[in-house]
Amino acid sequence: MADDLERSVLVGKLTRPISGLMATTYRWVDERLGVTDLVHQLLYEAVPRRGAWAYSLGSATLILIVLQIVTGMFLLWTYVPSTTEAWLSLNFIEHHDEFAAIVRGMHLWGAYILFVVIGLHMVRTFVSGSYKKPRELNWIVGVVLFLLVLGLGITGAMLPWDQAAYWTATVVTHVVNYFPIFGTQLQEILRGGPQMGPATLTRFFAIHIWLLPALLVPLIGLHLILLRRHGEHGSWVNYEGVEEETEAERAQRMAHAEAPYPALPSDPGYAVPMDLDDFFPSQVFKDAVVSFGLVLLIFIMAIVIGAPIERAANPAALNYVPTPEWFFLPLDQLLVQFPQAWMIPVGVFIVPGIGTTLLILLPFLDRTPGRQPWRRPEVMVPALFVVLFLVFEALLAVNRLFNL
Amino acid sequence: MIMGINAAGAGTGLLIAAPIVGDILSPVFYKSKQPWVLVADIRHVPIGVPTAYVVMLNDNGDAWQAPLVPRTVYVVKANLSNAVQLITLSNVCTHMQCDVHWDINLNVFLCPCHGGLYSMIGTNIGGPPPQPLFRYQHKLVGTTLYIRNVLTEGK
Repeated sequence: MADDLERSVLVGKLTRPISGLMATTYRWVDERLGVTDLVHQLLYEAVPRRGAWAYSLGSATLILIVLQIVTGMFLLWTYVPSTTEAWLSLNFIEHHDEFAAIVRGMHLWGAYILFVVIGLHMVRTFVSGSYKKPRELNWIVGVVLFLLVLGLGITGAMLPWDQAAYWTATVVTHVVNYFPIFGTQLQEILRGGPQMGPATLTRFFAIHIWLLPALLVPLIGLHLILLRRHGEHGSWVNYEGVEEETEAERAQRMAHAEAPYPALPSDPGYAVPMDLDDFFPSQVFKDAVVSFGLVLLIFIMAIVIGAPIERAANPAALNYVPTPEWFFLPLDQLLVQFPQAWMIPVGVFIVPGIGTTLLILLPFLDRTPGRQPWRRPEVMVPALFVVLFLVFEALLAVNRLFNL
Repeated sequence: MIMGINAAGAGTGLLIAAPIVGDILSPVFYKSKQPWVLVADIRHVPIGVPTAYVVMLNDNGDAWQAPLVPRTVYVVKANLSNAVQLITLSNVCTHMQCDVHWDINLNVFLCPCHGGLYSMIGTNIGGPPPQPLFRYQHKLVGTTLYIRNVLTEGK
């Protein structure tokens, strides 16, 4: 009954400004496409009431990825993926096409801010213990999405084919050379030949604009479908007092669960937040404000700083100091710390591999009860050390590169 | 019926996958012919100071009929056990393939990426590189030095 009432309210909202022929047309289309039902399904969902500003990070990540796809499409208006023309086409944009330069700046700063927002989204999920039963697999999908975005970042950095891009591509494709047994062949496959060349750029272009996005987009869909299946967990603030609840109180709370809750199977007490709110409009409003703020920041950075372009790639320049993109600084520092022969594969494969494996397996490693961060020191303290380690490695790398 | 679906599915997959896998693997089988390239008259190379020359080399196999790219070769006249030895060093660092350069103050080859250090004849003296600098094949016609983009391991 409540659903029918909500539906009629929604139809009213959707059709209120229109009348006469427009309203008749809307009804004609709606009967055939079910627009109202679709909008109803997308917007009317129960979400946790408290801490909702922190939950806007997920939608902000989605908006920023859409921004990357859109700006990327229009970079292709000009960009040519060829070793002789890539730099020329982007240099043209930077000096003769102000609007295209803004689009390029938004693509770069959108990527930088996307890394920050994705990081905060992961931290939020981690601190609130949202990866616990029944959301283990959605955490893993999220980690894979994070790795795909890192891959998009590093392949994108290769495409301008300026000095920075060329040496980034050189180092990244040479890392696989240290892979046991097939290293040399893997490097030739990635480079399209024994050394860097025209086939290297076309390969990474294809990986950047087709292969990785083709994996990214369906996985985002899966991430959202699973989110709707489980309902937003929110964070521990929405479950305060679950330990003191009586069986009767808990049963009553479950009885009043709205879709998509109850998120079963779940730990006792954590199936439904204590207090629910409507996704539309209260959460959508917060999502919209945060996304607007981020896109505004990206727009300003694109205009004020923009996307730099260095000199064209020159494999024979002797005075150039290559520096990695900032989000790869910790990995670059590992290259220095694991020198010579058998140590190099440890630094490039085993250490990052262990880190990634731990991240993927987190929901199965964390056996702590409860969701409050202070009640899960077994995972919070090691995670804090990992974050401090990454920051420390990045600082060491900056110190090394800028004191050369 | 189910067997038919499986067989048709496997056949379709194989027909699509086989050429794509071949396409992905093809660079492994690229070949390239490396011609001799003129570098310089070695009478201009001082003894004991590695001297950089830029030469145009093809180093990407068959791709796009082998475009030439500028590469640096360090020509070294090293005084080793009372005999002057001529060495043509590749300046590609053996760690992550950045360009090394001769630092005239420190008297070492220095890699700017991760701090690899090599001696005048390319042997490792510090940093992460796993092996000495590679050497180009070279030949002398009179006093004119030619190199070929065929690398031998350094010592």
